[in-house]
Amino acid sequence: MKIDRLQITNFRNFKHLDVRLGEHAVLVGENRVGKSNLLYALRLLLDPSLPDTGRQLREEDFWDGLARPLTENDRITIAVDLADFEKNDEQLANLAEHLISSEPMVARLTYVFERVTGSEDVNDFDFSIYGGDRTENVVRSEIRRRLPLDLLPALRDAEGDLANWRRSPLRPLLDQAAADLDAIELAKIGNEITAATEAIAALSPIKELAGAVTARLVSMVGIGQAGDFQLGMLPTDPHRLIRALRPLIDGGRRGIAEASLGSANLLYLALKSLEFELLVKEGRRDHTFLGIEEPEAHLHPHLQRLTFRHFLEERGASGQTTILLTTHSPHIVSVAPLRTLVVLRRDADSASTKAVSTAHLDLNEADVADLQRYIDVTRGEIVFSRGVLLVEGDGEKFLVPILAKLNGFDLDELGITVCSVAGTNFLPYIKFLGQTGLQIPHAVLTDFDPKGDLSYGRERVIQLLEAIGEGVDPLETADEEIPELGAKHGFFLNTVTFEVDLFRSGRHKSMGKALQDLAKGQVSRDRAKQWLADPKTLDEERFLRDITVIGKGRFAQRLATVIGKMTSKMCPAYILQAIEYVAARIR
Amino acid sequence: MSRRASANLHRSYREVAKDFRDNPGQFEAYESTGDCVILAGPGSGKTKILTTKLARMLAEDVRPPHGIACITYSLECAGELQRRLAALGVEEARNVFIGTVHSFCFKNILLPYGHLSDLQLLSEPSIATDEQRRDLFESALKTAVSADEQPWRWRTRFECYRRNFPDQDGEEFRENDVDAANVVLHYEAALRERNLIDFDGMVLNGLRLIERHEWVRRAIRARFPILAVDEYQDLGLPLHRIVTSLCFNAEVRLLAVGDPDQSIYGSFGAKPELLQALARIEGVQAVRLPFNYRCGQTIVAMSETVLGQARGYQSKTEQAGTIDFYERPEGLAQQAKMICEELIPEVLGRKPNRRLGDIAVLYLDKNDGEVIAEAVAAAELKYVRIDKGAPYRRTPLTRWIEECAEWCSGGWEKGLPRLSLLIRVWLGLDRSLRSSSDRRARRLELVRFLFSHRDAKLHLSDWLDDLFETSLTHTLHVEPALADQQVALAELSAACRDAGKLAGITLGAFSGQTGSPQHLNLITLHSAKGLEFDAVIMMGMDQGRIPSWSETTSAAKQQSRRLFYVGLTRARHEVHLTYSGWTENKYGQRYLNGPSEFLLEVKRKLAET
Repeated sequence: MKIDRLQITNFRNFKHLDVRLGEHAVLVGENRVGKSNLLYALRLLLDPSLPDTGRQLREEDFWDGLARPLTENDRITIAVDLADFEKNDEQLANLAEHLISSEPMVARLTYVFERVTGSEDVNDFDFSIYGGDRTENVVRSEIRRRLPLDLLPALRDAEGDLANWRRSPLRPLLDQAAADLDAIELAKIGNEITAATEAIAALSPIKELAGAVTARLVSMVGIGQAGDFQLGMLPTDPHRLIRALRPLIDGGRRGIAEASLGSANLLYLALKSLEFELLVKEGRRDHTFLGIEEPEAHLHPHLQRLTFRHFLEERGASGQTTILLTTHSPHIVSVAPLRTLVVLRRDADSASTKAVSTAHLDLNEADVADLQRYIDVTRGEIVFSRGVLLVEGDGEKFLVPILAKLNGFDLDELGITVCSVAGTNFLPYIKFLGQTGLQIPHAVLTDFDPKGDLSYGRERVIQLLEAIGEGVDPLETADEEIPELGAKHGFFLNTVTFEVDLFRSGRHKSMGKALQDLAKGQVSRDRAKQWLADPKTLDEERFLRDITVIGKGRFAQRLATVIGKMTSKMCPAYILQAIEYVAARIR
Repeated sequence: MSRRASANLHRSYREVAKDFRDNPGQFEAYESTGDCVILAGPGSGKTKILTTKLARMLAEDVRPPHGIACITYSLECAGELQRRLAALGVEEARNVFIGTVHSFCFKNILLPYGHLSDLQLLSEPSIATDEQRRDLFESALKTAVSADEQPWRWRTRFECYRRNFPDQDGEEFRENDVDAANVVLHYEAALRERNLIDFDGMVLNGLRLIERHEWVRRAIRARFPILAVDEYQDLGLPLHRIVTSLCFNAEVRLLAVGDPDQSIYGSFGAKPELLQALARIEGVQAVRLPFNYRCGQTIVAMSETVLGQARGYQSKTEQAGTIDFYERPEGLAQQAKMICEELIPEVLGRKPNRRLGDIAVLYLDKNDGEVIAEAVAAAELKYVRIDKGAPYRRTPLTRWIEECAEWCSGGWEKGLPRLSLLIRVWLGLDRSLRSSSDRRARRLELVRFLFSHRDAKLHLSDWLDDLFETSLTHTLHVEPALADQQVALAELSAACRDAGKLAGITLGAFSGQTGSPQHLNLITLHSAKGLEFDAVIMMGMDQGRIPSWSETTSAAKQQSRRLFYVGLTRARHEVHLTYSGWTENKYGQRYLNGPSEFLLEVKRKLAET
């Protein structure tokens, strides 16, 4: 089962949020944007441990943009659409009454907080929960017990919870294991432990110590009150024996109290997930929604990646747990399955938080795998960007930031990432960043790549325009109009290729110098010298081949060092246009 | 359900089940693991096996969120099942439905799935009142056939046609009776147009949803993997198809209980063959309960004679039982007079501690009811009357009011009926109650009313007036689903005032009527099904009345025979049959046809043995 869609109206940061989710949800967003509030909204519907007093919101929980005093038409609504449950009979039994769509089945649960009908008191608000868009179809607490949301809050005291038997996630697991134990065997072990404990207690220094304590107690409060003081190791009653087991680490040498915060958290997560599986197996619940707030605390980046790669694996285990986690960690984002990303952003126009997600990206599996890999190796950087420049390769990747800076755009400060798609397959990235994806302002910088009268670059732009629904009719549109049309939608073409255009923009000296420095043979060094001296003699093909021999990346890095030390603003126009295009769209 | 609840179930049903060891049929049914049909004759302990088996399946075979739906035909049977199951610790819950087929179809099929289908059903239909149905039917008749048609001639034809041909797309429906088909189509279209639904519509649309949509069957199966049906012989074709579609097309497990010999609602479309057919289906375990724990040996033997079928039932009672005949050639009024002045005192005197409540007078219709009620009143006997001449119709709402009255007039001391059940029904009336504070306030309102009216000596009319002072009146106005019940409530309210049939009645007398030991029971043969009495007096057993002169086909006559059979088998010890030997048509013409042929068969057989 999964949460297919979430709609929140008039609640805290949200005026109206409407977002589709994938199998799991990895919620990303700046501080105070409302990540925890989003989880709280889900708790109102699904958390059985939240008491009704917690479900009874207050006036201040209404979205700030609503005029006060509130009117009887003002209401907070939270609607969650659940899908992918119809193959599971238990889940279907819980949700069959709440359907809003039959094939495929989608069920909806709605929380409403509104003025009590007929009440004169302006502060008399109350909540109700109903299913399937039928307001009279009241949903009772049972559904929260059967399909609960468990929340692991940020900075929780994992260590304390592990040490406290009553709260320990180990307890239900041990109880379950104990139920299968052979009682006679257990009693035998109990006897052995008793014997061993008694043997230790009988050692004379121990015995003397116990005696001394007893004597002091008697002198303090008298025989009647002092009780019988003993030293022992474990309770030996077979049942209590099991409960005396404690988690140990480092090959049993140390208790959990001595573990690092990170290991305690890791263990806590492992035990919790086992517990949830057990509860489903025992038929005490039919699904788990697991909310995890900022789990990165105290975890080494590699552990973050390993842990959450495992947890978020699509259709993990048997699909019995849906994970909703909030995070600031690029390490977690980088391993999140592509369709699980949800980005929350403050929308200045409406003074409220909006959300975008990648759940319904129209991409084939190969594109998904490509993007996934890119996000993984770049540690999720693109997801946190405020704007993205999509480029073909390392050349642009190294040089565009330098050129931008020289022209007064600090891309880091602006939050703009230069992302190399290593080729020309921009489409998946456009979809990922576009209207049906994360809605991050972006531009494409691509080479014109002339081929006789034709141009590969132009064809590419035509295809991209087509893909975003701005297709052009080739019979109606002249070739010369394409670059301008493309630019209007963020697709920027140069005249030949990046390096040639850069050379022609006036950077021939720096480029010639870098080429000379790096060229392997005398012949190519001489060529570089010649082009440097007389840029008009540039043999474009030769020039590109020479750079390729060096390696475009290596060449670009060297060139970046050279240019970075200068103050000249020279830069091909399409690059600046692209930067301006993106910068203007960053709020 | 909490673990504690299942633990309670555990103890009580196992205790009851010990009794099944001496009854091979009951034990077999109790041990059944698949689809099971229990053929249960009169007094065979069918409710006991049904409720115990249900409790067992809930404890052992399903676990939440899955559950069991237990449906039956009439409100009375549903109420009885609820009471019997409550005694075993089983109560209605999200996963336990106990109620009528109509409410099952409405609440668990139409409301959740109707608006998602292509049947043009809206999500919130109102229940049509009798008046609305009548008007819509009459105008449908005028439009579809002609303005000259007499509605009363058409009513049954229309209703039966609608029930017997549920496939409106089928040729059979179109061609069998073109006029009737058109009336049905016009009538249903008119209902849809007004967003109304009637009781047959609940079942018919429920059937369409189930047969058309695999996803509906899947959803129902997930919620209720076990379906129990009581009084199966009363179900008509649409319900039978609902059951077979769910059980043999969607793997819902079936537990059906009924007795084809007690099928007496043929005019409503009930067909005893359906239950027989079900029992013959391959893979269905058919169990016949062999013992009759109610009727004396003679009564069991004679009832089989009437039936014309050897069922092989054995009386498990100590007594032989008696059957006697009384001819009063002066007519029905004389029979009634004799019953009150001679028969009843004799019956009462035959056994110490026997009271009026142990005796029932059974008759054909409400006209007979008027005759006997008059005689009983003249003899100054207290009575309770169940027929269409009753002061008000029974609906779930009037039933709830009766229970509230019972609670107020002493039930609160015993905790019967349970306050929690009264509150649950009360909160269920108004579906606009969504928030917990609304519900809290509403609950408090009822509890206050009930606690401040705990006095059996209150006049029913005053008590009702105060009840109407609560938000009940408002709820009745705003809740469309209650529209049809409002009429019944108005009847009740009118009956206890001025010259009404219940004028001046106190709360105690009102609530203590049904099943009261102090009141003689006057009941139609049809309404007597499921009841039992020490002595049964069957009045007006003349040829031409039972079977009626109009019952000429063998099927109709067979049904009449079953009605007579139902009457006989209500008695534990004594059956008294009275007749005049003639009948009169509505123009006053007399036919001297002698007593009922069924009566004569019994008389002849008794003489032989």
